[in-house]
Amino acid sequence: MISSDVTDIVVVILCAVGLFFSLTAAVGLLRMPDVYLRIQCSTQLVTLGALPLLVAIVVFAGPISSYGSRALIVAALLLVLAPATSHALGRSAYLTDVPMWPGAVRDEPRD
Amino acid sequence: MDTWFTAVAIAEMAIAAILVVRLARGPSVGDRIVAVNAMCTQCAIVVVLFSVISGRLVSLDVAIWLASFSYLGALVWARYLERGLK
Repeated sequence: MISSDVTDIVVVILCAVGLFFSLTAAVGLLRMPDVYLRIQCSTQLVTLGALPLLVAIVVFAGPISSYGSRALIVAALLLVLAPATSHALGRSAYLTDVPMWPGAVRDEPRD
Repeated sequence: MDTWFTAVAIAEMAIAAILVVRLARGPSVGDRIVAVNAMCTQCAIVVVLFSVISGRLVSLDVAIWLASFSYLGALVWARYLERGLK
């Protein structure tokens, strides 16, 4: 494992960024008024909350080590699967007539 | 560094505990699926951190499984909500 002061600082910063965005996304999942807006928050939880933490592990262990390579696999899986799942969930919610927030200004598929 | 990773893992579990509220209250099925999916993501990250802390490489395979199959389950649920069991 590579370990120096610079690596430690980078790891700490990446973990802090990931934790901050995970917290904001969880609060968004609680507070948003609508299923569509909550889906958007869950996407943010993956791309800005989970990926910095996994990148922090890659930085900590090195990309060619056995830990870092598998963390990279998890990151790539999340990066590919999260938007696809969000799209499918939003589509199914729209097709099963889940009501929108009354303050929504536009319904593009119906127009 | 292990102490820091332990603290981060505990904080992630606390964030996942916040999402239980949305899982219990969600008015539609979609809300609950989104909450479960987010919790599974958090759990996968905690498993990755745990494997780095404890030095067990086997746990990382659990994390890969958890990440991929939680999203696969959400995709299957979305398809089921749209078209039924066809």
